[in-house]
Amino acid sequence: MVAYKRQFYPGSSVPARNRQRYMNPKVKLKKLRDVAMDDVVRIMGHRNPGEDYKSIHPPIEEGKEPDCPIRKLVVPIEGAKHGDRVRYIQFTDSVYFAPISPYQRAWMYLSRYRGVDTGTLSGRQIIEVRERDLEVMAKEMIDNETFDPALTGIRGATVHGHACRLDEHGLMFDGWQRYVWDDEKKEVVYVKDQVAIPLDRRISVGKPAAMSDLKKRTTIFRADGVDMRDDKEVTMYGLRIHKLRTLGGYQPWKVKGE
Amino acid sequence: MTSNSAPAADYAGVPLPEVQILTNRLLNADTVERVLNALDVIPGIRQINMTGESIPRNINSGPAKGLPNNHTEHKVIHVGGREVELRYLVGGFYIELEVEDEEELDARLEEIKAACNENIEHGYTLQVGRYSKYKPTLHDYRSA
Repeated sequence: MVAYKRQFYPGSSVPARNRQRYMNPKVKLKKLRDVAMDDVVRIMGHRNPGEDYKSIHPPIEEGKEPDCPIRKLVVPIEGAKHGDRVRYIQFTDSVYFAPISPYQRAWMYLSRYRGVDTGTLSGRQIIEVRERDLEVMAKEMIDNETFDPALTGIRGATVHGHACRLDEHGLMFDGWQRYVWDDEKKEVVYVKDQVAIPLDRRISVGKPAAMSDLKKRTTIFRADGVDMRDDKEVTMYGLRIHKLRTLGGYQPWKVKGE
Repeated sequence: MTSNSAPAADYAGVPLPEVQILTNRLLNADTVERVLNALDVIPGIRQINMTGESIPRNINSGPAKGLPNNHTEHKVIHVGGREVELRYLVGGFYIELEVEDEEELDARLEEIKAACNENIEHGYTLQVGRYSKYKPTLHDYRSA
């Protein structure tokens, strides 16, 4: 059998290349900002900074686990070792050339991280992990190039806005206004946590990127950016799946040579 | 969105032209105030309806349910000396015009475009047509 090199995603257009980069765990994503860990914890709102992690079971090292071959096989992540609760962070990505979109987030999460549960919806992507691992991942995801202060929202509930027009400052609409535009610093500042409970301090997540930069970073195919149909390989991959699942559904004998 | 303080305009009974203005960006409350005040002085405007994305007064779900939303754009603006409570981040205007002929319509359109060009920074699309009901239909006669 031929040893294939994992391609991650077909195509050679800018969005296709970005999809490949974000999914490839060997690619170290660029760090664009540094939001303090305590501030990440505040925005998520699951615990107060400095507070102990609550646990739902005793540490695995205490040896109270049942005798199970799978448990012996799988190396637990840090949070699982300590018996942490499972907590979440949820991102909303604007259709206006956000650096990444929910479906690619799912691919990226599953390709890069262990011990996560993720769910995709049209405009948002939730990731559920043991608390202390979640905090590390959340900081990575807020700091790196998949996040843009204006076009990515950290929203635990009421995520509406990903397909709305941007506001006059170029920010994605949020009915709960968890983040506001700081006109003096030209930065985006969080004033509420992800479920809109007011924060006791303003947390800056930095300056939004320019649209020209975002168009180079995005994974989104758009008619006014890179049209998916202009990338031959991506189009053929979509058509092939469409053909195979259609035929597979009602005339499977016609599927030949695949 | 219509003003709370003003009664809804009666049906004209005839399909008066309506100007639909959809902005490329959702507008801040201050911009809406400026646009409306610029439109307010134009003669022949029968009514202006606005639409956009809803901004709740209180957080309406989740753990923070019931807390005041404190959205900076949910506020009272002053249009032509009257107070209008904005409950939306406005992204569209429907301006009903009372005009006699096409010539008058074109003149009004030019004035509306001038008002918009001056106040809407990120651009808009403008169309003339009829976008809302102007006479009772079957729906208006159904029993409750």
